[in-house]
Amino acid sequence: MSSEPSFAPLAAAPGQAVSLSMQRLWLTGQVLPAGGRLVVQHIFRSEEDKALEVIYGFPLPRDAALRSFRIVGEGFEAHSELKETEAATKAYEEGVARGSLSTLVRQYGDGVVNLTIGNIRPKETVTVYLEILCGVELRDDGFRFRFPFTLAPNYHARARALVVAAGEGEMELPGDEFGDMILPRFCEDASQLHQVGFELTLLGQLTIDEIASPSHAVRVRHDGSRSARIALAAEKDVPNRDLVFDVRFNSAEPQVFASRDPSGRRHFAAIVPSTSFGRPTESSRRVVILLDRSSSMRGEPIAQARKAIDACLGALSETDSFGLVAFGSDVSTFQPALVFGTRDLREKAHDFLMREHPCGGTDLTRGLLEAAKLFAGGGGDILILTDGQVCGTEAILADAREAGVRLHCMGIGSASQDRFLTLLARETRGVSRFVTPRERVDVPAVDLFASMGRPVASGLKAEGNIQPQPPSSVFSGSPVLLFGECAGEAGADRIEMSWTGGSLTLPIDVSESDMAQTLWLLQGSRLITDWESRYPSEHAMAPLEKRKQNRVAMRLLELSQTYGLASREMSLVAVVTRPGDRPGELPQTRIVPVGMAQDTLFGAFFGMSFLSDVMSRRPSGAMKQTASGSISPGFLRSEMKSMPETSLIRRLFASRNAAVLPADNIRRPNTPDDILIDIASRLESDGGMPGKNLEARAIATVIALLAFLSQGHTLTSGAFRSHVGRLAAFLETVKSLSSERQKIAAAVIQLTRKGRAPAGEWITLASTPGDHWNAVEQGLFAINADGRLVQDRA
Amino acid sequence: MGHQQFRTLAELSDDSGIPARTIRFYIARGILDGPVKAGRQAVYGAEHLTRLEKIKEWQAQGRMLAEIANDLRAGARAQTAAPPSVWWRHAIQEDVMVWVRGDVSPWRMKQIRAAVDAMTSQLADQSSETPRRNRK
Repeated sequence: MSSEPSFAPLAAAPGQAVSLSMQRLWLTGQVLPAGGRLVVQHIFRSEEDKALEVIYGFPLPRDAALRSFRIVGEGFEAHSELKETEAATKAYEEGVARGSLSTLVRQYGDGVVNLTIGNIRPKETVTVYLEILCGVELRDDGFRFRFPFTLAPNYHARARALVVAAGEGEMELPGDEFGDMILPRFCEDASQLHQVGFELTLLGQLTIDEIASPSHAVRVRHDGSRSARIALAAEKDVPNRDLVFDVRFNSAEPQVFASRDPSGRRHFAAIVPSTSFGRPTESSRRVVILLDRSSSMRGEPIAQARKAIDACLGALSETDSFGLVAFGSDVSTFQPALVFGTRDLREKAHDFLMREHPCGGTDLTRGLLEAAKLFAGGGGDILILTDGQVCGTEAILADAREAGVRLHCMGIGSASQDRFLTLLARETRGVSRFVTPRERVDVPAVDLFASMGRPVASGLKAEGNIQPQPPSSVFSGSPVLLFGECAGEAGADRIEMSWTGGSLTLPIDVSESDMAQTLWLLQGSRLITDWESRYPSEHAMAPLEKRKQNRVAMRLLELSQTYGLASREMSLVAVVTRPGDRPGELPQTRIVPVGMAQDTLFGAFFGMSFLSDVMSRRPSGAMKQTASGSISPGFLRSEMKSMPETSLIRRLFASRNAAVLPADNIRRPNTPDDILIDIASRLESDGGMPGKNLEARAIATVIALLAFLSQGHTLTSGAFRSHVGRLAAFLETVKSLSSERQKIAAAVIQLTRKGRAPAGEWITLASTPGDHWNAVEQGLFAINADGRLVQDRA
Repeated sequence: MGHQQFRTLAELSDDSGIPARTIRFYIARGILDGPVKAGRQAVYGAEHLTRLEKIKEWQAQGRMLAEIANDLRAGARAQTAAPPSVWWRHAIQEDVMVWVRGDVSPWRMKQIRAAVDAMTSQLADQSSETPRRNRK
């Protein structure tokens, strides 16, 4: 092999796409709170003189499975068949060899799918309509829908990544684990790639209060109070981020969708908000926060994550214990064991966080195991703040299950690993949230943290034909989703649930709508996703005969056959035989490129092109340690030491490095949420605000409470509910103030119980140091004719 | 060629353990030659199997496909250039240079050397006469 640098642009080399083989990707379908039934239109067009074989790689959304596809072109239309993967691949290859238009949709590990179309004729246009079932991220009062329009590069210890042209990177994963899966080329600039867009129908049982998207400009049209259409406002968009939108209902109540299929079977899906179960317990908590500080977290994500952790720790009492672990390619631990949530230790934890700078890969497993060790065999909850950009997730899930701790995931990313983080949380009995980097991370993290360790229901059971079984614990803010089939007499259908100290019965009103099949398929896709997560890649890559002895493989095969949905064991295939097919003609392979995930630095995975020369000379053993898709500053420094001072690499790196590091400290103007986060992080371990004496502490606590209340955070709702509870509890212990001030404190405690604050500049006061007793007095009271304070506000 | 064993793409895939789709991908990337014949009779020779084994080996060493393709192109460029050779350079006058290939046979070298010597003498004589003519 030549030692010539391997980073030369390849655009002119044989096999490189010179025109777009996929022109358009358009998402349509219906979204319910129980999940989505989607159709993705892919338009392929050959501008070349030879037959093409086009490969498009994409990730599945959460709880998703592929049902079927329809392929349409001039003079033909064909529908897919669901076959065992080996048989489907064989049918595809035989079709290609015969010169026929052949299409294969095959799922690989991590929920990555390759859609391959062979023998697209010169100048031909072919459209594939792919039907996908998927889940949504449920909240008590609505849901978040997320659909990936691109595939983010992910960390794997044995992945290799390379810049192959200016702003274009390639990544390869080990074949023994990922088989013949082909990843797309990642383009830093997605503006020249295929068009994407969407138009979806929303349907709920509650009145829709609000629909908004943090990812795309959308056009919303309400069709009555319970349904709406949401579409891309612009004519088209680029494939560099997920579509994300939120639907909020005007109340948090149970919703039961039920329908009868043509054979008379009655299928249902029920969404039961956490508020239906009760209030959280107030026991002491044991929590570990696990921070992803890999290089892909650089910039805003890490800055927000640090603030979120400070605020989360502010919710801990002196009897709560916590740990803090940061991971990238290596792991660092704040303390070797759990410590109590005292002010002093929280400040030390803050210092620890500020020393943890993003670099290296994402060795999530090591981080998880270190975090689990801190519990020393006892139970506890782990909160993970991560972008989740890792491959080989099935192995991580296996390790997480074995660790025996409950994981709650706070995902941050514009191109999702939503599927993985959902599974990670669910398989360990926790909950997950996923936000885009352009949203606040800290407030949702505080919200999630508030529900950790204190379930509103434990030992939950549901009677009847329900699959999968409900989670054993329910957490505040996260509803329970149940899929099932009515087994009893028609007309008396109901769902019976019980848990430690409570029970609930929900009537099922079976309609004659055509929703039954959708509910049935959503149940199937959820079950298949759960079983996929238990199927490590090394087993999935084994020969068919060996796989037939594998329990997971057999269960997946059975589920695929029962529900008519694809999985790793069954794939979709169609072969269209047409006049003029040319047997034996070799189609030219084209890989559909995708945009680099917005807000993920290209250099975080692909490094800088001139480094390829350095990397290509390293022996493979060393490559395994460094090919994290990122190049750590430590690695660079060690390499540069051997280079002359005049080296271009040294000079270029010196300037670029300086530009990269300050990105962790992005500053933004203070919003009310910023101020609340700041207050939350300053709580003393007794629950009160700091101050030079009791009076100062009392007024600071009063102002903090009013600030939280004014922004909708109460004892039972809002992200800062834990903080509100702790502040109020502190204020109740304060007994030695003057009578006037004691009266003010009592009034604020009363307001806290009511969950509202009088009009006032409480946020401004909260961010301004000083003695605010008079301001609070004026805000809360009027003076009556006798000159006595009378509470007349709020 | 007559004794070479040819394989179809499916057979090449079976023998190499590399899926047919991947083999087509390698061909498109320029790291594997296309079939020996085109169309219905498309077949692959032993060199294809050897190259696929080599690709596996390179990948096991940590090489990416883009690197392999680049290296192969660099190798191909080197092969198409003329082979290197050594030449003697004889400066026989200020304005005349004679190049003689260094790897010619000894008897031929004697002939060339004699011819070069003769030419050198002749040019030396002529150059000594020229100033006189110019002076006329």
